[in-house]
Amino acid sequence: MAQAILNRIATGDTDAVQDCLKTYGGLVWSLARRMLRNSEDAEDVVQEIFVDIWKNAERFDPSQSSETTFVAMIARRRIIDRIRYSARRISPDSLEDVLVEPTNRGDQTIQTSVEANEAAKALAALRPEQQQVLQLSIVEGLSHQEISDATGMPLGTVKTHARRGILQAREILGLGSTEIRKEVSA
Amino acid sequence: MNENIEETMLDLLCKKATYGLNPQEEKQLAELEKEMGREGESESFELTAATLAMADLDTSKAMPANLQSRILAEAERYFDKTPESRASTVSAFVSDEAPSGSLFNWLGWAFAAAACLALALNIFYTREQSTIVQGTLPTPTPAEKLTPLQMRQRLIDSAPDLARADWGAGNVKELTPSGDIVWSDAKQAGYMRLSGLPVNDPNKETYQLWIFDETQDDKTPIDGGTFTVNSAGEVIIPINAKLQPKNTKMYAITVEKPGGVVVSKREKIVALAKRET
Repeated sequence: MAQAILNRIATGDTDAVQDCLKTYGGLVWSLARRMLRNSEDAEDVVQEIFVDIWKNAERFDPSQSSETTFVAMIARRRIIDRIRYSARRISPDSLEDVLVEPTNRGDQTIQTSVEANEAAKALAALRPEQQQVLQLSIVEGLSHQEISDATGMPLGTVKTHARRGILQAREILGLGSTEIRKEVSA
Repeated sequence: MNENIEETMLDLLCKKATYGLNPQEEKQLAELEKEMGREGESESFELTAATLAMADLDTSKAMPANLQSRILAEAERYFDKTPESRASTVSAFVSDEAPSGSLFNWLGWAFAAAACLALALNIFYTREQSTIVQGTLPTPTPAEKLTPLQMRQRLIDSAPDLARADWGAGNVKELTPSGDIVWSDAKQAGYMRLSGLPVNDPNKETYQLWIFDETQDDKTPIDGGTFTVNSAGEVIIPINAKLQPKNTKMYAITVEKPGGVVVSKREKIVALAKRET
């Protein structure tokens, strides 16, 4: 049933809007709260995200991704926009939360979805430095420069880890094309 | 030459997926994708980042009820002005006092028709009890055509986690409501059986149910939907929760302005029910 929600929205089934909110509200809210760290910003952006989801519902292609991943992608786009244009800066206090080792996150409630398990496997397959950079950029929403400042890694190294990490994860998740596979093994 | 382009493109694709691009970079990436004949490739990188973002996401904290209500209100505006959405036949969050001329007004007519049908069937098949329902209906299959009373009984018979509570007086002392409320977390469905509430004029005011549960602060209980009482005697009303209640502990019915409110001032609480089981 969940896989049909976006298709139903695309056809104008307003009943599906509430199903969408019930099914993906927690996901979208959690992504926004984690990356924005400000409740007011998160509330504003979540409202915008759901409008984006309705607008983009007809673009969802089940052969490309799960509906959950598609919704998460739409959400991240809007959250990233908000971060970039609100000139968000991390404070020294927040760094302690951000700079935890990727393996030390077992205390959180982990979503036991297919996507979460796939993501965990993909992350676990990466080198620790790649994991850390991707955690800070994708999960925490830090720019490469901010990661460099926070970790002391040279900016070029941060970019390399991010690039190789995401390429490898893309391959592991089966989302990559053959054209750039050689980069992964480099 | 191509290797340089490939390198630049990869940098931009990764940056877009992890932290986004500025307008100049977006334009550059679009041009490169076109030049390389790989339009749309960036989405696979974004999907990768989106998947990774869910790796250890704590989704246990529910979205605030007022935010959910704002989104539903936004949905009403959005789909009301989107022509293709008018093909829709059912809305689970339509209020029973929708603004005139909107899609939801049209849906109100559909529900009124459904309510009339339910009433007619009820009278025809049971001839026992006057049961009038307005508001949203959990949808039985067309072949079943169950009455609200039958749907309530079916829920009671089939939900092992059923919570039940009896209605009592609120802060409007002259009212002595009676009846009960049943709710199943597993089925996310429930019914109110109510007597003793006065018939209301939906153009002036509406009844609104509030659900207190473990997911929400008591200051912001879950909106259980609005409803109209248009007949004396017992009424059975399906619950239309705007969020997914869990371990409900109390229910309240307030009188609000037509269409209901996001947060009640709780000036007129006409009925209260505390969970017993």
